[in-house]
Amino acid sequence: MNWFSGLLIGLREIREHKFRSFLTMLGVILGVASLLAMFALTAGIAAGWRNTMQQLGGLERVGVSDKQVSLEFADLAALSPGRTLADAEALRGLPHLVSHVAPEMQTPATLSAPDGQTVSARVTGTWPDNLTVSQHEIAAGRFLTDLDLERGARVVVLGDAKVAQLWPDEHGTDADFLGRTITINDRPFSVVGVLAFYQREEDRRRREAAAKGAPAPARFAMGGRSGGSGRRDMFSWKNESVIVPLSTLYHEFRSGQPETPPLAMAKLDYLNFRVRDLQRFDETLSAVQSLLRGTRRGVDDYDFDTREDWFERMETSLRSTQLSGGLIAGISLLVGGIGIANIMLASIAQRVRELGVRLAVGARRRDVFLQILAESTVIGMIGGFLGLGAGVVLLDLLGRVAPLESPPVIEPSAVLISVGFATAVGVLSGLYPAWRASRLDPIAALRYE
Amino acid sequence: MRKTPDPAAAVDLREVHKIYGTGPDPVAALDGVSLRIDPGEFVAITGTSGSGKSTLMHLVGCLDTPTSGRVTVAGEDISTAGSDRLARLRNRSIGFVFQAFNLLPRLDVQSNIELPLVYAGIPRRERRQRALDAAAKVNLTDRLTHRPSQLSGGQCQRVAVARALVNDPALILADEPTGNLDTANGADVLRLLADLHRSGRTIVLVTHDPAVAARAARIVEMCDGRIVKDTAT
Repeated sequence: MNWFSGLLIGLREIREHKFRSFLTMLGVILGVASLLAMFALTAGIAAGWRNTMQQLGGLERVGVSDKQVSLEFADLAALSPGRTLADAEALRGLPHLVSHVAPEMQTPATLSAPDGQTVSARVTGTWPDNLTVSQHEIAAGRFLTDLDLERGARVVVLGDAKVAQLWPDEHGTDADFLGRTITINDRPFSVVGVLAFYQREEDRRRREAAAKGAPAPARFAMGGRSGGSGRRDMFSWKNESVIVPLSTLYHEFRSGQPETPPLAMAKLDYLNFRVRDLQRFDETLSAVQSLLRGTRRGVDDYDFDTREDWFERMETSLRSTQLSGGLIAGISLLVGGIGIANIMLASIAQRVRELGVRLAVGARRRDVFLQILAESTVIGMIGGFLGLGAGVVLLDLLGRVAPLESPPVIEPSAVLISVGFATAVGVLSGLYPAWRASRLDPIAALRYE
Repeated sequence: MRKTPDPAAAVDLREVHKIYGTGPDPVAALDGVSLRIDPGEFVAITGTSGSGKSTLMHLVGCLDTPTSGRVTVAGEDISTAGSDRLARLRNRSIGFVFQAFNLLPRLDVQSNIELPLVYAGIPRRERRQRALDAAAKVNLTDRLTHRPSQLSGGQCQRVAVARALVNDPALILADEPTGNLDTANGADVLRLLADLHRSGRTIVLVTHDPAVAARAARIVEMCDGRIVKDTAT
């Protein structure tokens, strides 16, 4: 006798006692269902986070931030010019490591559209590279160009939400706003580009689903453009962007005031760059570090903002979620395994005579062992597959009752692990009953009533 | 009397003792039994209950090993055999027919007959064919897909006989095969055993019924764990 005939016998036993077998499997079914649901939920959350991070610039985005100079060097701090355009220019000297550089200066301003509203905004002056560094996406028109920068052109790229605030009564396409003139602190600027509307993946899906239900007015019923949604999320800084060339911002709004340094020495509000190759992340950071040591005259007054810490925090929190979910599923599987062992013991007590007959016609102890083990394994495996179905149903119900932040993702590995665990539970819980059955004395078993 | 068993015998017991229980009050179920059965013999073992005939049958059937003495079945000394070797002997060399039929209730007739072949590792197609042949010998080819619960007692015992002979064993052991049957069906089964004897098989029939024992060519009578009479009819 081999495994296969053992499995056939097991299957026949299960078919003979469908309801009992189902009850036996129930613990495993629930265990696998919760295991699968837990995997799918955390995978969904992870996918949502990855997506969000990608939209925020990805792991490649690194910010140069300020750092308090330590006390023993405090007297030297004044020597450093701080974060200036000189840093940005220097970073451009590392094209093999740093692919894009985006210095930013910001100034609060009043925006006014002659044919629309007047709103206040934070205007950002930057370089064309900002498009890539901040992972902006142009919905209509263009982003800034080197020519804009060189000329100090009065051009502006607007975020989707800002367009909605300036022209709240217009619901045209993004392209309709191109070429219009707005004033920023009373100076005329031409709108050359509109950014795409940024939203989280699940928000987008929800809107799309709503749009399918009520085709035409849906976009506006949801609050028109993003500005009306009233919700500030992590993308609002992107959606409310007002972007002009750095040189324009400096010359129009900063210079001319007393004590204004030349542009190259002007302080930047932000300095971000993009690492060309993530494999050489550390190498890039140390190259940038030695570069900045030059521009900062040896003063250690800068630091790097990377997404790695954020990524690690995310991983840790995911792991703890998985651990607690796995614990619950594990307890359920354990209970399921005990249930299988219990039923198998009862079942062999019921079948002592059958086992005696099998022994009499030539079954070896290991054949009987294998038969019982195969039966419990099949129960575990079938329970695992039914549990997969139950898990999918559970996720569906969960999505209906409480809409999830991130839609669950069922990964093939989660399916394999869940069914694998169920099978393992089947094998383990069959070991003792199988051993008991294999120790039966054929004579006593044949006489058993 | 020789002390070494004869491998040419179908069954050969030499000074066999079987003692159940340990401690102060052991029970000697067999108390120095020597018995030789030649290939092709039809032997009945009789005796009252407690005479040791069942214990003797268990030893001959390789279901148990003796406390002392030597037991040879189909040329193999099983006195000290392990459970795997006993299982193989039961599987290849012995066919059992029990009083209570002992068919597996959830298997159909065909699968019941095939059962020994499964443990002999015979491939499925050959199993089917040999089960068919065995069913034909007991005249049950029209009941192959029935379950035991759908058969009469006589039919059940014929299935059991088919199962006993499907592996073409040298020795068929029948333990009160007519005990649960009416006279007509009992006679039917005894006729089947006689047919098998004629085709050259060794038959050992255990019974307490003198009328049934009379069908055998040799009657061994037991009492209190000893052979008290060994007569040819």
